[in-house]
Amino acid sequence: MKYLPLIVKNALRNRRRTLLTTSSLAISLCLLGVMMALYYALFIGGQPAKAQARRVVVRHKVSIVFPLPLYFREKIAQVPGVEEVMLWSWFGGVYKDARDQRNFFARMAADADRLFRVYQDYVIPEEQKEAFIRDPAGCVVNKALAERHGFKVGDRILIRGDIYPFDLDLTVRGIYTSTDFDDDTLWFNWKYMENMLRNSPRLMAGGFTLLARSEQDVAAISRTIDEMFANSEAPTKTESEYTFGLSFLSFLGNIKVILMSICFAVTFTVLLITANTMAMSVRERVREVGVLRTLGFGKPAIVGLIVGESALISLLGGLLGVLVAEGLCWVVRQGPAIVQQAKTLTIEGPVFAALMGVSLAVGIFSSIVPAVSAARTSIIDALRFTD
Amino acid sequence: MILPISYNLRNLAVRRTTTLMTALGIGLTVAVLAASFALVDGLRLALEASGHPLNVLVTRKGAESELASNFERRVFDDLKFKAGIARNAAGEPLASLEVVTVINLVSVEYPEGANVSVRGVTPIGLEIRDDARLTEGRWFTPGRREATVGSSIAKRYPEARPGEKIRFGRGEWEVVGIFHSGQMARNSEILVDLNQVAADFGRESVLSSALLRATDEVAHQALINDLQADTRLNVQARSEKAYYAQQTSSGDLIRYLGTIVAVIMAVGSCFGAMNTMYAAVARRSKEIGTLRVLGFSRAAILVSFLIESLMLAALGGALGILLVLPVQGLSTGIGSMVTFSEIAFQLRITPQTMASAFLFALAMGAAGGLLPAFQASRKEILTALREG
Amino acid sequence: MSQDVVIRARGLTKEFLRDSFHIVALKDVDLEIRRGEYLALMGPSGSGKSTLLHLIAAMDRPTAGEIEVLGSNVASMADSEMAKWRNRHIGFVFQSFNLIPVLTALENVELPLKLTHLKRGERVQHAATALKLVGLGDRMDHYPRQLSGGQEQRVAIARAIVTDPDIILCDEPTGNLDARSANEVLELLRRLNQEFGKTIVMVTHDPHAAHFATHIRFIDKGELLPEGKKPEDWS
Ligand SMILES: Nc1ncnc2c1ncn2[C@@H]1O[C@H](COP(=O)(O)OP(=O)(O)O)[C@@H](O)[C@H]1O
Ligand SMILES: [Mg+2]
Repeated sequence: MKYLPLIVKNALRNRRRTLLTTSSLAISLCLLGVMMALYYALFIGGQPAKAQARRVVVRHKVSIVFPLPLYFREKIAQVPGVEEVMLWSWFGGVYKDARDQRNFFARMAADADRLFRVYQDYVIPEEQKEAFIRDPAGCVVNKALAERHGFKVGDRILIRGDIYPFDLDLTVRGIYTSTDFDDDTLWFNWKYMENMLRNSPRLMAGGFTLLARSEQDVAAISRTIDEMFANSEAPTKTESEYTFGLSFLSFLGNIKVILMSICFAVTFTVLLITANTMAMSVRERVREVGVLRTLGFGKPAIVGLIVGESALISLLGGLLGVLVAEGLCWVVRQGPAIVQQAKTLTIEGPVFAALMGVSLAVGIFSSIVPAVSAARTSIIDALRFTD
Repeated sequence: MILPISYNLRNLAVRRTTTLMTALGIGLTVAVLAASFALVDGLRLALEASGHPLNVLVTRKGAESELASNFERRVFDDLKFKAGIARNAAGEPLASLEVVTVINLVSVEYPEGANVSVRGVTPIGLEIRDDARLTEGRWFTPGRREATVGSSIAKRYPEARPGEKIRFGRGEWEVVGIFHSGQMARNSEILVDLNQVAADFGRESVLSSALLRATDEVAHQALINDLQADTRLNVQARSEKAYYAQQTSSGDLIRYLGTIVAVIMAVGSCFGAMNTMYAAVARRSKEIGTLRVLGFSRAAILVSFLIESLMLAALGGALGILLVLPVQGLSTGIGSMVTFSEIAFQLRITPQTMASAFLFALAMGAAGGLLPAFQASRKEILTALREG
Repeated sequence: MSQDVVIRARGLTKEFLRDSFHIVALKDVDLEIRRGEYLALMGPSGSGKSTLLHLIAAMDRPTAGEIEVLGSNVASMADSEMAKWRNRHIGFVFQSFNLIPVLTALENVELPLKLTHLKRGERVQHAATALKLVGLGDRMDHYPRQLSGGQEQRVAIARAIVTDPDIILCDEPTGNLDARSANEVLELLRRLNQEFGKTIVMVTHDPHAAHFATHIRFIDKGELLPEGKKPEDWS
């Protein structure tokens, strides 16, 4: 510790270089931070949001594009541990111009009276909820989505059907927020579908979402449901809503490999840049190492001074990087809900620890070679050294 | 008077560790950019190479994709005798009624399973797909629960190889062969008998689409116009090529991600290059003074250091391209928002990608070298001689 | 063997091998220096003066021969032992001062004390005392670049004496100084020798500087000339 002041002064010796290196580290590590945060949220430590943890999705075993018979709902409701079930259906359709990515958001039909019982994280004024349930052509919209498109209560929204042979003419009856995360969804009354598809074989459920009495029941309920329908006309696949969401990941490409490659490339770049800085700094100071050795500093002390300096710079860069990364996570959270994890992205404890670990490792590995070789240079050679 | 390039080359060679480390930093950045381009280009090229220029894809009006389309059999019966549709040797119109659906298979890359398109076709449909060649086994027999799978499917989904049975619809389907088409996107489909699969899914009268072959280019456009204008049919017709091209947007996310990451990394690497160049300037202070005494102008010094930085970056660019070359030809898949299933494709590093990667590296070199070069050129002769 | 001999060399030889060149920097040197002696080592450049100093300071190991300093056979010590020993027993003054530019005068002087068990307060106190002794009590917070050459060298001397070593080794301490500053430094060294009884070995080119010493010896082409003898071409 008594060397710390010297280490700090050494780090500040070439201020511009240290500033450039620290910034470079901070920039790269913030990128690494966001990538690691995503990777962590998607593949390691992601947790369902609070209310979501009890929600379970039932869908067709072969593919989500196949519908399920309506009567499944009553059978599912009878499974022990199930508190509430609602059916839903993906309407798809086209809102305004499909070419504009912003016009792409989820448009789902659902049991209006059950929606808010299953989605307990939804917050909506009571009278808006009542109005939605009463209106067979009513819809409710997530607040973030409503703000993006300027939807207000009472507005009409037109959606052209593509999967279904009819268009939607909906009235916004309510705007909801969520205590979990914004899901960018428009929910409309299932009665609309019933009215349009009366007597059509196409009046089927896209799937069901149920609320389990407790989180512990989720696994058992899923098993029971899948066994129950295994030999029916439509075998099902039942999983927690959270897991269900993850199953769409492969749609974005091989995110796992992409994220890992980016992390690897960034880490390696950072290592190179820091190593280069340290190599330059040490080279300029070989003579001084000779002086310190003459004064009686041993080789370990020399190595410690140099590695310490590098670690200090890297940790500082890492810390700054984490701060910026948290800022970037905020930006990601404001973005579209491509995956649910993006809406709650943040630097979690383990990711923070990993980032600091990477910073420290970069600090050590980038300087260990020049440090050891400087310490190994004989005093005489070090004192005679001219760059 | 400009300083010779060999002077810069030697200086870079003298500091080879630093040179190499800086260049490698730039190289990795370039590699990330090039790799994301390779993904997007691979997808684009696969899709561009798909679809026959004379084919017309017909779906229900308003449907952006075949999957979202409900195409009635009677509409097909009405349109298959439209003018401009080519005929085969037997005199039948080359018009194929098709049904497309999606199933989930476990793949090598995604153990959780990925979506795969299953297409029901008739023998006419196979005739229109004259680009597809069998590489193994045989075509499915009409009337049987058999499937012939595209080469990408066979490669990526162990469940869908000849001899295996896939479960979907009302039971099992036996895989009896593999086909390969130069039209890459087609290789990501499983082909089965139309009537079998339609019956399985209760879609005997409401199917997905029709694929028509026009007699020639003029007829092709005329056919599209004719179908579009026919309000009674209420269909949407487009060239098959356009349909595939539209799916290129599936790669947008990766393009954005790759570009953002590369730009952020570039700022970092640029700072690294700046460090290196500042150190070079500091170390050669005396030399700069001497050169000025010899009569080299400030501009010559500036240009010389800038050139050195660009050379450093060029080395980085070259290294980056070398680093990324091994991904060439790697196969991967991405979900198409249009077909709702996976399109398999191979990563492609195009000459344009290499050129832009190289330019990107040079830009980093210029940005990183400018300030140090400027500083070098501004040194006063006497202070320069005293320093260092 | 007298108790008083603090430095004793026998057959001391040092060769350097550089790029397949074989350089004999010191050849078979025998030397005895007593406690309290102030020896000026003179000789043409390249004659091996610095090399001898380095061997005494345990900064390097001889190729052959023995060297015993303060009763220790320094050449046989391990590197880490050598370092500790240097810190405790030797003060070294360089021609080019070699102060750490990012540290203040006080911090520079304090530096060798960081290797001791002294507390921070004690270290500062010792360093301040040493600086006052060299007449720079009012320059403690100055950085090397804010000091004149003579002042820098005095800080370096303070750094050399702060651990209270028995032996002070100076390699051309006035080589980079003007005459006036050189005199200040030489006066200081003489005081250290006379008042504090430090044993001093000083390499110098300058006959005027050598007059401050109690003894003068010459080295020529790696060989230590007998007392009173000068190299032939010495002016
Ligand atoms: N580390 C070294 N490597 C190679 N040669 C050296 C080294 N140190 C000194 N020498 C050589 O040894 C000889 C004596 O050097 P030195 O002791 O520095 O002379 P002086 O101090 O008397 O000028 C010179 O020829 C010098 O070049
Ligand atoms: Mg010398």
